[in-house]
Parts: sequence; C-alpha cells; structure tokens
Amino acid sequence: MSELYATAIFLFAMFALLGGSVWVGLALVGVAYIGMELFTSRPAGDAMITTIWTGASSWTLTALPLFIWMGEILYRTRLSEDMFRGLAPWMRWLPGGLLHTNIAGCTIFAAVSGSSAATLTTVGKMSIPELRQRGYPEYMIIGTLAGAATLGLMIPPSLTLIVYGVSINESITKLFLAGVIPGLVLAGLFMTYIIGWHYLRPGERPKPEPSMSFARMIKDSRFLAPVMALVFIVIGSMYFGWATATEAAAVGVIGALALALVQRSLTRETFFASLMGATRTSAMIALILMGASFLSLSMGFTGLPRALAGWIDSMDLSPIVLIAALTVFYIILGMFLDGISSVVLTMAIVEPMIRQAGIDVIWFGVFVVVVVEMAQVTPPIGFNLFVLQGMTKHEISYIARTAIPMVGLMVLMVVILVIWPELATWLPDNVRQGPRG
Amino acid sequence: MSDWSPFLGLPLWVWLFVIPTALAAIARLQRARLMPLLRRIWRVLDAVYLASGVLAAVFMVMILLLIVAQMGARWAGITFEGSTEFAGYAMAATSFFALAHAFSRGAHIRVSILLNLNSFTRMWLDAGAMLVAAIIATYFARYAVKTNFLSEMLNDRTQGQDQIPEWVVSFLSMFGTAPGNWGAIWEKTGDAWIYTPVWVPQLPMSVGTVLLAIALWDHLIRLLVTDETAIKGETVE
Repeated sequence: MSELYATAIFLFAMFALLGGSVWVGLALVGVAYIGMELFTSRPAGDAMITTIWTGASSWTLTALPLFIWMGEILYRTRLSEDMFRGLAPWMRWLPGGLLHTNIAGCTIFAAVSGSSAATLTTVGKMSIPELRQRGYPEYMIIGTLAGAATLGLMIPPSLTLIVYGVSINESITKLFLAGVIPGLVLAGLFMTYIIGWHYLRPGERPKPEPSMSFARMIKDSRFLAPVMALVFIVIGSMYFGWATATEAAAVGVIGALALALVQRSLTRETFFASLMGATRTSAMIALILMGASFLSLSMGFTGLPRALAGWIDSMDLSPIVLIAALTVFYIILGMFLDGISSVVLTMAIVEPMIRQAGIDVIWFGVFVVVVVEMAQVTPPIGFNLFVLQGMTKHEISYIARTAIPMVGLMVLMVVILVIWPELATWLPDNVRQGPRG
Repeated sequence: MSDWSPFLGLPLWVWLFVIPTALAAIARLQRARLMPLLRRIWRVLDAVYLASGVLAAVFMVMILLLIVAQMGARWAGITFEGSTEFAGYAMAATSFFALAHAFSRGAHIRVSILLNLNSFTRMWLDAGAMLVAAIIATYFARYAVKTNFLSEMLNDRTQGQDQIPEWVVSFLSMFGTAPGNWGAIWEKTGDAWIYTPVWVPQLPMSVGTVLLAIALWDHLIRLLVTDETAIKGETVE
C-alpha cells in the first residue's frame, strides 16, 4: 500500500470518527489505533497503554484538577453578586459606563478560573439583568460579554494553556505568565471598543448613573478585595518562584475554600457539588489528553508531521506567512471543535513545524489560545454562544452577530502579538528562579 | 491475532466485541420483555458509576493534601521522598475512576453538529457513535488490564523514590488470589516499606477503563431499548 493511500485512510478515519459524534477522547484513540495498524508493525495496544499511563500519571498534570476545582468553588459562591457591586462604582465614570463591568468582571473571574463557560455564567448571571434594567442596548451587553468571557482561556489559570504545556512538554508556569499581559491587552481592546461605541452612537447611551460619594465607593469595593488578594497570591507565587503551577493551584483551592467559608456560602452541598463537578471536568479533559498522547505517538509513525515540517521548510515561508496560515486553519477548525480538542489534535503536527520555523513555543501557546478563543464565539459550534443562548433565550445567529466585532478585535490581537512578541515573552523570561515545575 | 488467545473456547475478541453487540441487538428486539429486568440492572450500574466518581473525588482531595504536605515539608526543610510520584498516581486514579461517572453525566465532549440534524440522526447516529465508542473503550480496557497483569508478573517497580508499606501490596494482592493462598501472602509480608510496584497505582487504570467500557455498552443498550439517550447532560459545568 502506498504511503499516500494510507495517509488518506488515516485522515478520513479522523474526520469520520470526530464528525460521527464519537466522544473526542475515544475518537482520538480510535484514529491513533488505525494509524498504528497502517504505518507500523509495533503492537498497537501495548504501546498505547505505556504512553497513556506515563502521561496520565505525570506530576505536571496535577495542576489541572486543582485549578478546575478552585474555579468550581468560586463559581458556586456569591462571588458574582459581589463582583457587580464592587466593580460598578469604579466603572460608572468611564465613557461607556457599566458595560465595562462585563470586561472587568470577566478579567477578574478569568484570573481565578480556567474556563470560559464558567466565566461567562458567573459574570453574565449578574451583569445581564443589571445592564438591561439600566437600558443599555442588548447587542452591546451580549456582544461584550461573549467576547470578554473568552479571557477565561487566556488569563491564568488557563486550562487550554495547561493542556498545551502538557502536550508539548513545556513549563506551565512560563505559559501562565506569558498569558498575563496579552490577556490584559485584549481586555483593553474590548474596553476601547465600548468607549468607541459611547462616542460613535451617542443616541444609544442610557441616562448617566446618579453620583456617589467616594466613601461609598470604597465601602462597596471591599467585596472585591478578597478575590483580588487570591488572584495576586496565585499569580504572584508563580512569578516570584515561590511555588510551581501545581502548588499555586493548591494554594488557590485552599484560598477559595477560605473565601467561601468567610462569605458563609460554603455549605456541605456546594462543597460536594464543586468537588464532583471538578472531578467530572477534569476526567473529561484527561480522557482527551489520553487519546491525544496515543495519537501523537501514532502520528510519529505516519511521518505526517515530519513531511509537513519539511514541506514548510522547503517553501521557505516567512514565519509571518506561516502564522497567518495557521490562524486561518485554527479558525476553521475552531468552528467545529472546542479549544482544548483543537490544541491536542494539532499539536503533534504543528509542533515540529513551528520549531522548524524558529517560532518561540511559549509565544505560540499564547497565539494558539487567542485563535481558539475565537472559536468559542464563532458559529456553528461556539460554546459561549450555547451558554449565552441558555441564559438569554436569544437565537444563536443573533448572539453570533453581536459577537462579530469581538472576533475582529481578537484578530487584531493576533496582529499585535506578531508585531510585539515581547508582550508574551517578557514576563516568563523574567520569572524568578524557584522550584522546578 | 496472537494477542486474542481463546478464553473458554472462544477467541477473546468474540467475548469482548461480538457478544456485547449481540446482547445490544437482543435487547432491542425483546425490549418489552426485558425492560423490568434491565431497569433493575440500570439502578445498580448507576450506583456503581456514582461510587467510582466519589472515589475519584477522594483521590482529587488526596492530590491537594499531598501537595500541601510537600510544600509544608519544603518549608520545614524535610524531604518528602516520592511526593511527585504519589501526586501523579493520585492524578491517574482521579482521572480513571471518574471516566464512567463523567460519561453518564454527559461531561465528555463530542462534535454534535450532525447529531442535531433531525430526530433520526439523534437516535441512530448516536447509537452508531456509542457502538464505535464502546468498541474503542473495550479495546482500551483490554490492554489496560493486560498491562496491569504484566506489570505484576514482571514485578515492575517505580523509577522514582516513592515507597509504600508492604502490607498495602499484600492486602491488594488478596483480591487477585484464591483464599487458600492468602496465608502464604501474609507469611512473606514484613512491616518494611518497599519501592512501589507499578501494578498498584495501575489498578485504577484497569478498573476505570473497564467501567467506562461497561458504561458505553450499557448506555448503548439503554438508548436502543428506550429510544432516548440516558445521558443526563448538564448545560454548563
């Protein structure tokens, strides 16, 4: 059988299994098995378990369930109410007013949770009714929320970055720190968009908020102080090298539990609900990672990654053209797959390619997160769209239309990252030396 | 097919793939008659998935405790030998034990674009996907169990510095031996700590993947018998 023919079967099997709605993790195992049978005489099953066991029992991965758990605990507390009350006094002065609470709220929650859907629900639950009541236009409320919630994937802790780091064997701490500044820049872009709306569409402004004393502002923002403290402890301990990513996650879980306890929102039910919820989400991602580790083993035998890397090399592309091509590729992939699946599915092929082209892998991690973020808000499969549909009862198509400007801003973010790569690489390069990890 | 040696007169793949598929077909054809029996089995299985999910949660708490202990030890200047290995084992245990529970609650993701086309695909594409997934999961479980047995036979030990008490190993090996030989196991057991035999942390892998395979066949049968999926999905986790 010719090599080309076998490759065609391999790729067809991948589309058939994933498109045929087989669960992603198991579909990857199936595709990898077919690849092993086609391209090598090594016993597939034994090689599969050796690879999967090594991956599934690795120390690096332990950051994943703990960060998920931390987000789950805070998701079930009264944090969302406090967030609106604490942020509103500061945002009312900005042009665009309380719409900024969507962005600021998502940024803060993103810094304690690695999931975009949890960020969206926590912030939206509170901000949608409040903003509607004050007469902000619906398309701005929904659009900015859909866009800003994707920050959950970028600002550490980020599940997508953990998965990326595990797939290519890079330091999770470095990846997390790389995500901080681009995440804030993207949040800045979203806020600029709201300010732009304020000046360009003066007719849509709601009436200004009544004035408020400074003492009252300080008093109301006390609700936010504990969460901000938690954010600084978790990110700071990684930056100063006091803790590895996993240890920072453990501190985060304990901090979140303490916060919920002080708030008196930690009941027996919420504790167990957060624990079981985190267990399920972590098992979901673990199964995808298991499939992905077997697939990258099998991919190695197919010779596809090497061939593609060689092809890219022979074309003598500039890195910018390569990045542009990959952006388009990930946007298309993201229309059908969620972020984590697209990362694990492509890494085996893309990693040799980018290393060949001399692109920094830490920088590339941030780039990948921005492009898969877009996938969250682009139809037909955009997870944030589904969540927002559930919350607002709008049509998917309407929500997707309101989010189009946000996708534009994310494309702009990719351009900014290409022009100033230091945004992503400066912080991790300056991290203090600490424990391994 | 040397890897699929006969078991009770039939090749292993017949037992693992053909018989469950046949059972699913029979359940579909005789669904009215089998329903009362099946409902009882489903109740038991649901409890089993939940129990394994709870066990997974226990191991997740264990990861947290291990890491806190490790940090504490570092600040106190004590070395905690093998803490990273233990955290890794707990990680594997929490992932594998939770697989079936996560599946039955709809936590595992898939591309559902074709599934939602119409009611025909919702039923039959789902059934097809479950059959394929069940076969893959069974294959996965079969090799997980095989590797687990091999690790025990070859007496594979950890590469790290982690040690566990010998009695834990003896206690776990009781489940794999006839009661007549239990005395022999305990006679050889001292109160020493030994480098972790790899088969011990691999047990959750065997149990978890077998449960996932069972859960998939089980949900395939539920779908075929009741015409609707038994996966209780949650919109947001």
